Amino acid sequence: MSTIISHSFSLHGVRTLALTAGLLAAGAAHAFAPERDVTVVVTSSAGGGSDTITRILTDTISKMDLTESNFVVENRTGGSGAVGYSYAAKRAEDPYLWANIGVSFFTTPLLGESPVTYKDFKPLAAVSEDPYIMVVAKDSPIKSLQDIKAAGRMISGTTGIVADPALLAQRLETAMGIEADVVPFGGDGEVVAALLGGHIEVQFGNPSEVLPLIQSGDVRPIAVSSEERLPAFPDVPTIKESGYDVVLTQLRGFVMPANAPDDAVAYWADIIKKALESENWKTQYLDRFKVVPKYMAGAEFAAEMDKRNADYTALMTTLGLIK
Amino acid sequence: METLTLLGHGIATAATDPGMLLAIFVGALVGLLIGALPGLGPTAGVAIMLPVAVGFEPTVALAMLAGVYYGAMFGGAVTSILLGIPGDAPSVMTVMDGYPLAKMGQAGRALGLATYASFIGGLIGLIGLTLMANVVSRYALMFGPTEMTALMVLSLSLVAVLGTDDHLKSFLALGIGLWLGMIGLDQIMGGPRFTFGSMALLEGIEFSLIAVGMFGLGQMFMALEEETPDKVDAATYSYRSMLPRLADLVATKTTLVVGSLIGFLVGVLPGAGATASTMMAYGAAKKMSKEPETFGKGALDGVAAPEAANNSASYGAMVTLFTLGIPGSATTAVLLAGLLMVGLQPGPRLFQEQGEFVWTLFGTFYIGNLALVFITILLTPILAAAIFVSRGLLFSIVMGIVIYGIYSIDLSLEALLIMAVFGVLGYVMAKLKYPAVPLIMGVVLGPLLELGVRRTLIASRGDLSVFYSHPISLTIFIATALVILMPWINRLYQRTMKPSQA
Repeated sequence: MSTIISHSFSLHGVRTLALTAGLLAAGAAHAFAPERDVTVVVTSSAGGGSDTITRILTDTISKMDLTESNFVVENRTGGSGAVGYSYAAKRAEDPYLWANIGVSFFTTPLLGESPVTYKDFKPLAAVSEDPYIMVVAKDSPIKSLQDIKAAGRMISGTTGIVADPALLAQRLETAMGIEADVVPFGGDGEVVAALLGGHIEVQFGNPSEVLPLIQSGDVRPIAVSSEERLPAFPDVPTIKESGYDVVLTQLRGFVMPANAPDDAVAYWADIIKKALESENWKTQYLDRFKVVPKYMAGAEFAAEMDKRNADYTALMTTLGLIK
Repeated sequence: METLTLLGHGIATAATDPGMLLAIFVGALVGLLIGALPGLGPTAGVAIMLPVAVGFEPTVALAMLAGVYYGAMFGGAVTSILLGIPGDAPSVMTVMDGYPLAKMGQAGRALGLATYASFIGGLIGLIGLTLMANVVSRYALMFGPTEMTALMVLSLSLVAVLGTDDHLKSFLALGIGLWLGMIGLDQIMGGPRFTFGSMALLEGIEFSLIAVGMFGLGQMFMALEEETPDKVDAATYSYRSMLPRLADLVATKTTLVVGSLIGFLVGVLPGAGATASTMMAYGAAKKMSKEPETFGKGALDGVAAPEAANNSASYGAMVTLFTLGIPGSATTAVLLAGLLMVGLQPGPRLFQEQGEFVWTLFGTFYIGNLALVFITILLTPILAAAIFVSRGLLFSIVMGIVIYGIYSIDLSLEALLIMAVFGVLGYVMAKLKYPAVPLIMGVVLGPLLELGVRRTLIASRGDLSVFYSHPISLTIFIATALVILMPWINRLYQRTMKPSQA
C-alpha cells in the first residue's frame, strides 16, 4: 500500500508531501525493516521443482534490489518434508525464515509422521500452480494411458511416499483398475535418473524438471494432470480426457513460522508480489517452465491451505492411508 | 579430435582471462581452507560460496564454485593426516595410513603424496569427464536401486579387508555404525526411529559430530595416557622430511591409477559418491600390494589410493550433472543450484546450446587442478610443522576450533553433547581395540544401503530374485562373496599346497 500512495502523490509533483506521506504510510503498514539475511528452507534436494522456483524467486528479488536482505536457500531434505518443516517450525518467531511448501507440507503431518502440521506456520504467499506431466522413457513401449491399462501394472517413481506423484499413481490405480507400485526417491532428479535407466516405467514430473528432457527427446510426455491441456504441449492429452477423472496440481508457495510478526509477513508478501510482476520472473520462470502465474497471500492463501488440507485428508482417507 | 580442439580452446580461453584465473585461484584456495577444517567438507564449502559466486558472470561463477569443490577435496586430507580427524566423509580412509605416517614424523611426506594423488586422481577424473561424459552417463543410469544395493554391500564387505586383525570386532563396529545411521526420520516412510523422543536426534546424527567426536576427541583422550614425549624434537628431523617426495609418486603409480579409475567409475553413479569409492580403492590397493601388512600402519599406497579416488570421484559426480542435469552427489546438487541461479539449465542440451560455456568451464578445471598442486606443495612444509607444536597446545587449539565449528553449524548445545558422547565412545573403542573406520563407514553408507534395499523391494514387490537376475548386481555380489571368502580360500590353498612343496 505505501508504495502506491507515495507514487500517486509524486505524480502530482508534491514531492515533500509525497515523501512524508510515503514514510508515514510505510511506518504504519510496514513497521518492519529487515536487518538480517533471510533463510529459505526447501525440503527437497537442490535441482528439483521446489528448489528451482525458490532460487529463481529469491534471485529475482535480489536482482531487483527490493530489499536489503540476502537470501540463503537451505535444502533440508528427508522424512518427506518432516525434517525441513520441523526445523523451520522450531524458529517460532523468526521474521527471517521462509519455508517453501509442497504437497508433503500437508500430507506428511496427516500421516502422523511429522511433529509439526500446517497449523504451525503462517501463510506468506502462493506463487504458482503447477501441473504434473506424466512421462516415460523415449524407448518405452508405453504410448498412452491405454497401454498402461492393457499392461495392468505400472511402476512409477515419487519424491516421497505421500507426495503428489504417489497420490496420482494411487488415484490412477483406482480409476484405471490397475496395480501401481510406487518407488520413493529423494527428489525429482533421482526419479528422472531411475526413469532414464529403466528402473521405473512412469514419472509424474514437474514441468521445470522434465521439460529439458522432453525437449531433448530423452523422455516422452503421455498425459498431463491439469484440468486443461498445457499451452506448451497442445498435443498431450489430460488424464481426464483420456477417460479417468484424476486432476491434481501442485500449489507452490511459502510460509513463515506461526508466530512470525504480522508486519514482517506483510512486508515479505509485498516483496514477493513485486517480484512476481517483474520481467525477470516472466523470462526466468514463467516462460522457461511454461507455467501459469498465481499469486495469493493473507486470508485468501490461508483459506486455500485449509482447502488443500481438506482435499488431501479426503484423498488419503479414500486411499486408506489414514483412518 | 573435435573434443580435444574444443577443450584446448576452452583451456586457452580460461588461461588468458585474468578475472577467470583469479576466480579459479580464489575458489581453490577457499575450498582448500574449508576442506581442511574438521567437520566442513566440499558441500558446505560450495554452499557457503554460492551467494558470493552467483554475482559474477556464469563461467566465472561456476569456475569459482567448482574450484571450491575440488579444493575442498584436496584439503580434506590435511586434518586426516595431521590430526587423524577426517574433515569430511571421503577423507576417512586417508586417516588409516596418513595419520600413522604423521605420527612417525613424516607428515610432510604424507601430505605431499596426498597432493600428488589428488592431482593424478583429479586429472584422470577430468579426462573421463571431458572425453567420455556422454558414454559414461548412460552407464551410470544402469545403476538403479538393485545395483546400488549390491554396490553398498560390496563397499561394506571391504571392512573385512581393511586391516585390523580381528574381523569380528570390525563387523561389530560396522553394525553399530549401521544402527547409528538409522537414527532419525525413516527415509522412505518418514517416521522417527530410535530418537527416544528427542528433537535433536530427529534429523539423524551429523557425520561431522561422529567424525570429530570419535577421531578427534577420542584420539585426544587416548593421547592423555600415552607415554610418548610431549612433542617431536625438531632437531631429530631434517628439513627434507617435511618436503613431499616425488619418488613416492613413482612408487605408488599403480595404486594411483587404479584408485583414480575406481574413484571415477563409482563417483559417476548417482548417490554412491566419493566415500564408497575411497573404501574400494583402499581395498583394491591392499589386495594388490606386496606388503599388505603395512596397511593401517603408514603405507604410502594407503594414502595414495583414497586420495586419488575421492578427487577423481568429484569429477565423476559431475558427469550426470552436465549431461543429464541430474546431480550425482550432495555437492553437485549445490553446483546444479549454481547453474540454475546464473540462468543455465543443465541437461542434454547444455553441450549444444552452451558449448562455449561448458568447454571454458572444463578448461578452468584443468588450470585449477594444476594451481592446487602448487599451492598445496608450497603450504606443505608449514602445515607439516604442526607436528612440532607441543601436543598440549595443539590439542587445546584444535579442541577450541572444533567446538566452535560444531556449535556454529546449528547453534545447538545438544550437538556438542552428542560430539562428547562420541568422544567417549571413540576412546572406549580404541581401548578395547575396536576400529573406528568401519563404524563411520556404516554411518555414511548404511542409509544408502537401506534405501537401495527398500526401493528395490518396492519395485519388485518383495521378490528377492531381482538381486541375482540383474547382471550388474549379480556380478557385484559375486565380487563381494570373493572378498569375504578370499582369506579362507587363501588359507585352504596354502594348507593344501604346503605339503607338496615340502
